[in-house]
Amino acid sequence: MDRILDLAHRLARYGAWAGGALVIFAAGVIGLDVVVRKLFVLSFGGAAELSGYVLAISSSWALALALLDRAHIRIDSLYVHLPVRICAALDVLGLMVMLAFAGLLTWHGWHVFFQSFRLGSRAVTAIATPLEYPQFLWLVGLAYFALVTALLLLRAAHALLTGDVATVQRIAGSRTGQQDLEEELENARRRAELAEGRP
Amino acid sequence: MIWVTVAMLMALLALSIPIAAALAALGLSLDYIYSWMPLRLALGEMSWGVSTDFILFAIPLFVLLGELLLRSGIAERMYAAMSQWLSWLPGGLMHSNIGTCTLFAAVSGSSVATAATIGTVAVGEIERHGYNERLFLGTIAAGGTLGILIPPSIVMIVYGALTETSIPQLYLAGIIPGLVLALLFMATVVIACLARPGWGGDKIAVSWSMRWRTLPDLVPPLLIFVVVIGSIYTGLATPTESAALGVLMAMALAVWKRRMSWSMLRESCEGTMRTTGMIMLILIAATFLSFVVTSVGIGQQVTQMITESGLTPVQTMWMIVGLYLVLGMFMESLSMMIATVPIITPVVIGMGYDPVWFGVLMMLLLETALVTPPVGLNLFIVQGVRPRGQIRDVMIGSLPFVVTLLAMIVLLMLVPDLALWLPRIAS
Repeated sequence: MDRILDLAHRLARYGAWAGGALVIFAAGVIGLDVVVRKLFVLSFGGAAELSGYVLAISSSWALALALLDRAHIRIDSLYVHLPVRICAALDVLGLMVMLAFAGLLTWHGWHVFFQSFRLGSRAVTAIATPLEYPQFLWLVGLAYFALVTALLLLRAAHALLTGDVATVQRIAGSRTGQQDLEEELENARRRAELAEGRP
Repeated sequence: MIWVTVAMLMALLALSIPIAAALAALGLSLDYIYSWMPLRLALGEMSWGVSTDFILFAIPLFVLLGELLLRSGIAERMYAAMSQWLSWLPGGLMHSNIGTCTLFAAVSGSSVATAATIGTVAVGEIERHGYNERLFLGTIAAGGTLGILIPPSIVMIVYGALTETSIPQLYLAGIIPGLVLALLFMATVVIACLARPGWGGDKIAVSWSMRWRTLPDLVPPLLIFVVVIGSIYTGLATPTESAALGVLMAMALAVWKRRMSWSMLRESCEGTMRTTGMIMLILIAATFLSFVVTSVGIGQQVTQMITESGLTPVQTMWMIVGLYLVLGMFMESLSMMIATVPIITPVVIGMGYDPVWFGVLMMLLLETALVTPPVGLNLFIVQGVRPRGQIRDVMIGSLPFVVTLLAMIVLLMLVPDLALWLPRIAS
């Protein structure tokens, strides 16, 4: 299971590199567009449309990485004051709600793609891009995000049920509360050691 | 209906559900409870619409710009130059912190990036020169918040996109309040160090020859600022296009400084996409939520409630400010804005306030949120770049600047022209 998650993480990172490369490429195209427009008073157009697709594709590919790196923001004003076990339960709950959202996005994203695919929809622009292609790549990102969320939920739920709170915290804990939690874990460990050491 | 919504939102956030998922869950619940037709069917088209919005493409571009600048080493040079020019003031390098933050804010669109960049460079100086650690850390946390007020600004772009306010006008409106706030921050340091001379640290060796020699180090950031902002107002580029020009310049700068490498580029891409993915998911959820909130009539109810309360617009505005200050203590700033602006802004505009002015006020409120405990992202960032110590030091050190920020908010409420004068003469 952990090996699958590692693999998923690596794949997510490749996705982010590819997304970043697309963004840089789009920046180049936009820059060229601006210069050409200024110098030759003509626009080859399409830079804005292309960038829109780049944003959709690259950000959907990045969703899974943000999840695995615990970059999706959570409000932890209350969280940091709760006992470690409850935090771990909240981590799992958070993943469940996230999975519901990711699943729903993928499901509706699929409909958007399938509609374009069936009708052969094209963008109402000069290029008339067949929408199914960018929408397919976007859908891949959403689906991968849902898949990774499900995997992470499975792993975290398993760890929670077997009482492995440290693993839940490591893979799904809130980032800003991390240090406080580590300290509390350390204290708990020390308390346990003291209790064992006593005759 | 309003109170059910507020209670559900509070519960979801208190349970520490990721913001994007929490907003989506709230939207879906309201849809199930109050709507007579399933609004969620629009989720697919809506997500695609938000994800392909050309205006929002400025977000990854500005994040990437920040990541590239962070790794191109210009921050160290800027800091050295600023310390030559500003450290004669009572408070020494603390003024360089604020000055460098101000200048960096003019090329970076994010407060977090600003605080992280300047913090990394500056933190080593505390012990070397015997500064009061808390106040020093406070200048970084507070100075960093300037990132979203001084253009370019990612948060302003999001605000502009959500409220359909002109981003070039918002940019112009942020310049004067940004500079005034930077001066007020510096005044705060001067006052603190005149009262307690021991806080100001040792004298830094400066000379006019060093000053002139370091001056060229301030040119690259200024050049990027001129290109990014100048290209908008000369009509050469839209805000998104200007961000693309900024990215290209930052890449050229990194190549010129010999900092460009595959691993640097990979790291920049990774950081950029992680942040972009996070923001875009929240934006998708928030767009859906605000669609539901409008469709089932909650927005109307809020407006009605305020009209019936009999408060004058000015009183209402003070209430809104108070609400944001309290919310800002507990919520992360960007998500706070995204979750509330679709409901609050129509009310504010309905009362006759200028959306551009309210945008600048919103930036100040978010800046305050960034440095008010217990949840203030900039506090965490500054704590994160310290080698050791407790977060309490950063929180206490930031408090004087929270007072300064509050003073600036009052000032902007009393003198709206601080924000509106520049957009007016430009149009």
